[in-house]
Amino acid sequence: MRISALLALLFTIPALHAGFLSPDEPESKVKCVYSGTDGHCVEPILKSQNEIVITVVGQGVAPSVTASPAQAYALAKRAAMVDGYRLIAEKVKGVEVEGQDTIKNMMLMQSTTRTSVEALVRGANITNTTFKEGLCEVEMEISLSYSRVLR
Amino acid sequence: MRSRNGNFPFLFTSLALITTLALKADNYYIGYRLTAKNAQPINETLSISKAMQPCIASNNSPSLILKCTPNERLESVLQREENNFLEFASSQELHIQSNDIVGVSHTQLLNSLTLPTKCYAVEFNDESVTITATK
Repeated sequence: MRISALLALLFTIPALHAGFLSPDEPESKVKCVYSGTDGHCVEPILKSQNEIVITVVGQGVAPSVTASPAQAYALAKRAAMVDGYRLIAEKVKGVEVEGQDTIKNMMLMQSTTRTSVEALVRGANITNTTFKEGLCEVEMEISLSYSRVLR
Repeated sequence: MRSRNGNFPFLFTSLALITTLALKADNYYIGYRLTAKNAQPINETLSISKAMQPCIASNNSPSLILKCTPNERLESVLQREENNFLEFASSQELHIQSNDIVGVSHTQLLNSLTLPTKCYAVEFNDESVTITATK
């Protein structure tokens, strides 16, 4: 009985030292929500003191038949904007993924993956636009902070 | 003779109307929807309608100033300056809906962007028009 109590005490002291008794971490240090396979930080946590800026690059293509190069540019930019907003929504809110495989006689007949995103986006801005060889790329950024989220 | 409670909506509407007239601004409801399939726009709709009732503007609403010719209508101004207006309006609030299907033989990407129909105060000057978002 005494030995088990002693062992419990020995295991408890390092846990207390790592948790409650240690001083708070400095605010500048970025914490990870989860890590990728290489161990790098993937998602920083939004805190009340700092703000997170998310930058994405949306891509869009003009339709093959357009009235003028200006119309092609305008339409490609629209499509790129939509793609950019989708990427922002993916990063901020997340993606719903649904996979479906059909197997017949122990053989894969069909494989489909559906992803869907739905979000209300506020305060995103276009920072840069490039149009080259029919492909329009729009660089967009959104800044996340407590004041914006709770607005 | 009207009662005190019965007069309140009448007074409120009159005050709002007088304020709108004093500011020389018209109110318009503007909405926008764009659908893109496989990164190409396939459908685009810009809806503009003059408000039948005045909207209440907040003090610190963002504004956009566009060039216009005398007696030009808002519809033609927005058609010409659609990019600027969309950047202005979408930086405030928009709804994005996306559905992608990836299969062995085919891939389909369908994105839909919607600017919620919102009331804007529109003030026409000699050579410019000021569009202010209201809440």
